[in-house]
Amino acid sequence: MELLDPTVEQPQQAIDFAPRPGALAGKRVALIENTKYNSDKILERIGNILKAEHGVASFKIFRKHNSGVPAHKEIIDEVKAGFDVVVAGVGD
Amino acid sequence: MPTLSSKRHKVEDLDATEFCFQQGWTDGLPVIPPTEERVLTMLKAANLNPDDQIGYIDNRAVAVSAEKVALNAVMAGCRPEYMRVVVAAVQGICDPAWSYHGPGTSTGGAGVLLIVNGPIARQLDINAGDNLFGPGWRANATIGRAVRLVMRNVAGSRPGLLDRGTLGHPGKLSYVIAENEAESPWTPLHVERGFTKEQSTVTVLAAQGPHQFYNQLSNTAAGILTTCADDMRTSGGIGRQAEHVVIIAGEHMKTIAADGWTKADIRKFLFEHTQVSHEHLKQTNRIAGAVQPGDDKKMRALVAAPEDFLVVAAGGMAGAFSGYIPAWGSKTTSRAVTKEVK
Repeated sequence: MELLDPTVEQPQQAIDFAPRPGALAGKRVALIENTKYNSDKILERIGNILKAEHGVASFKIFRKHNSGVPAHKEIIDEVKAGFDVVVAGVGD
Repeated sequence: MPTLSSKRHKVEDLDATEFCFQQGWTDGLPVIPPTEERVLTMLKAANLNPDDQIGYIDNRAVAVSAEKVALNAVMAGCRPEYMRVVVAAVQGICDPAWSYHGPGTSTGGAGVLLIVNGPIARQLDINAGDNLFGPGWRANATIGRAVRLVMRNVAGSRPGLLDRGTLGHPGKLSYVIAENEAESPWTPLHVERGFTKEQSTVTVLAAQGPHQFYNQLSNTAAGILTTCADDMRTSGGIGRQAEHVVIIAGEHMKTIAADGWTKADIRKFLFEHTQVSHEHLKQTNRIAGAVQPGDDKKMRALVAAPEDFLVVAAGGMAGAFSGYIPAWGSKTTSRAVTKEVK
């Protein structure tokens, strides 16, 4: 018997991941918050630790429209233009 | 004859159903092995070409082809004439308003509730009566199963991987009902949502499980709906103001209609009687923050507007039971979507 495959064949990876920074010193960090309760607090804590212990130059918290959607275009555009590293906070 | 592009597997020394299990293609129940002949028959019944695009799920970057929908409908056990309903439902979950990313993935564990309206429901014998959410009807059991298999096999919503439901619920196997338009005194759901009575539609909602309430004491509309409102007042995360489907079954339907109430009257009553104080919501950890002076008088509605109650006449004609189903999330994260069955 011959069966057909119900899954979608994986396409070739069209893009590579961005190279990882060797160190965080001097980097600009974007923190993307998913709007869930306390997610802003934990990301602010992470940002402060990255500054104090890893020497990052700055951080900024971005807020998604809500937790059920990906980060919107304005966030992506600003992060691409002005940041080196992203931390996406996914929390429940 | 149209050409199918899916990868082919020769299965010679193994039972075909077992092979499907081994490939990870099933929902835990045996499937009908998807052969070329069966898939072509399914496509033909809906007048579709294999490469017709049924939908596109933006954040997964997945195009859902008619061929893949037909393949999964075969595996689910659908009769070919069900295919048009499956297609409309898949269009619904690919709609940006349904917003696949959340309900297809979330720890909140949404099922896809399908509410079928119009002539197709009677033609296909989609159950609108006794044992509404239970087993016994091929159309109800297999159409929803086909949608879930598409989510699993095409959109990647596999439990523990991209489907992270903490609890999930049995409706994630199949969750299909029709409205009992033949006996309902009210305007059907799809007509309220802009279609004609003669059109057939599927409404998809990212939904929690069904909640049943009983009222065997009251013989008035207000009496029955008072019980309903009390039962649902803090359901489904009032903090989110999720849409709610309200299922009115036979005995309650007759009592409510005898008082002259329309679906709009039901919505208005429920909107007014499901308000909860901020004091209670804070004390029960449903919204954040400490109780402030005046919170006992400050009220929050269960839904954002009366229209967010989707009232459906369905369920057995015997028994003083009705029910409600909270949506998975708020309207900003996923909304009910109605698509015509073509």
